[in-house]
Amino acid sequence: MASEAKLSHTAAMILQAMDAGFVYGFSIMEMTGLPSGTVYPAMRRLESDGMIRSQWEKQSIADAEQRPARKYYKLTAAGNSTLEASRKRYPLLERMIPSEEAKSL
Amino acid sequence: MKPAADRFFRIFHQCLLRGASLLVPGQQRAEWQQEWKAELWHVRKACAPSDAVPMKAEEEITAFCLGAFQDAFYLWRGSRKKGARLALMHGSAWCCLFWLAAMLTVSYIVANISAGVRAERHPEHYRVRPNLVLIQDARVMRDWAATIPVERYRSWKRMRQQYFDDFAFYRIQQETLSTSIDGGYVRAVGHVSANLFTLLELSAGSKDTGGDEPRLIVSHKSWIKDFSSNPNLINSMIRVEGRPVRVAGIAPEGAWRLPGTMDVWMLEPDTAIAPGAAGYVVAHLTPSGRSEMWNGRVRITVYDADGTDEDFWGISFAERTQGPWDIYLFTVMLGFLALPALTSVSIADYSFSPHRPSRTRNVIRWAFLFTKIFLVLAIAYFLSLDLTYLTSTEYSPGASCVQFFSSFFICLFGLRWAVLDQQQRCPVCLRRVTHPARVGLASRTFLAWNGTELMCTGGHTMLYVPGLPTSWFGTPRWVYLDSSWKFLFAE
Repeated sequence: MASEAKLSHTAAMILQAMDAGFVYGFSIMEMTGLPSGTVYPAMRRLESDGMIRSQWEKQSIADAEQRPARKYYKLTAAGNSTLEASRKRYPLLERMIPSEEAKSL
Repeated sequence: MKPAADRFFRIFHQCLLRGASLLVPGQQRAEWQQEWKAELWHVRKACAPSDAVPMKAEEEITAFCLGAFQDAFYLWRGSRKKGARLALMHGSAWCCLFWLAAMLTVSYIVANISAGVRAERHPEHYRVRPNLVLIQDARVMRDWAATIPVERYRSWKRMRQQYFDDFAFYRIQQETLSTSIDGGYVRAVGHVSANLFTLLELSAGSKDTGGDEPRLIVSHKSWIKDFSSNPNLINSMIRVEGRPVRVAGIAPEGAWRLPGTMDVWMLEPDTAIAPGAAGYVVAHLTPSGRSEMWNGRVRITVYDADGTDEDFWGISFAERTQGPWDIYLFTVMLGFLALPALTSVSIADYSFSPHRPSRTRNVIRWAFLFTKIFLVLAIAYFLSLDLTYLTSTEYSPGASCVQFFSSFFICLFGLRWAVLDQQQRCPVCLRRVTHPARVGLASRTFLAWNGTELMCTGGHTMLYVPGLPTSWFGTPRWVYLDSSWKFLFAE
């Protein structure tokens, strides 16, 4: 896929971080070391390309923890397949951010 | 960290997010702000425990907030790419008024830069007394010519006159002007009778210097060019053709509008003006003389002692000294009068259906038209002044001619544009109708349903313009679109 081949290293890192369970913007920033000005626009682009989707967490959960509700991001099927292709392109990606399956092993 | 500093940084970070949110398109803004505020809460919480160096934590939070600008900019750029906002603005009434206001601003700024226009702002400097005429030989066809010798002026002044109650004389000669510092310059020197400026009621800045020497009034242009804007020039002595004269005043910029261009005016008693080339005679009309005035002129017959008679014209100065505002008002009137000859001025709302826009819509529509006309006329005024004083810094009959024609054509074609533009704006949303489509049957070109249809991009109306206007169907008509058309329009 042309779109998979064109995925930048930054976008691939963000997808990998999400796959590893970092589903909030700030947690992705912490994991990847990328600044907010890079992470958030990249996530908007990935969302508009259909690689990820966003959702607001339930207000009741946030209220219970006495914090504002957060928007979290998840990989879509298209995002998963693109990430698979990106891992081949960037072999160090998985070593930098081990995915949840790899961690459980 | 002190609570005051902590509070300051909290407000500062909120301000940063709020500032960045202004870049975000309106429909996304609320959600965007909610997400960033929630993230900021977590960032603050994450940074707070490690606040051994409190400023370091605030720097990190600030860096996080600054990233919001990049995110907001990304969304703003995305909205522009879609062109939604541009499409909304394209052809709108606001867009039209914005461009007119921009043109007006530019023409106003240019007008303010021009020295000539600055001088025009003070009509008290150049407006002369009413009922003044320039007397010239009737045999000379050209107006505003120097035709009267000083001897004849003196004889007129001695005689009791029926038409005039006062006279003044001036003549222009190229003479050498020299100061104690500089060498000499050859300049246009006006030898004028001492009462000239009093007769004209011009405020030439003249002061009674008290000495016996002739008084000299320096033009504003010469004061800048020859005397380097010397503020202490008044009362100083200079020489004109070797004769000592005392500077009595500096004329305001653009004050002299009578025939002939002079650098300085030398005020002399009538008897002191040397005979020589012909000059100009200015006279003030009595009520009897005013009654003889026709079309800005009065015919004068002078009978000499030997019984011979000679004809002269007294030509009114009113036209020369009326200033740009009077010329402009006249051209506006001409523009309105000539407009129906150029285009149909009907902006009535002809429609195929009984549907009519609300009264508020109609008021807005008329208000928009009047605003456009007001802006066009204001542009005409300033733009015509810009063109008039583009090359000339002083008033001249040529400059007033340029102003007359430029103002007239800008008014005429500006008004024409305003009316045509109004005719092609949707009565509901005031957007210009677009996407012209030819409709009708090729074989039925006469008295048939043949013409052009234009569509309002807001989906309110369609304008039908007949291909061949006839007596029964000569004007464009509006078709108000019902809700069944809505699916065609993205908005």
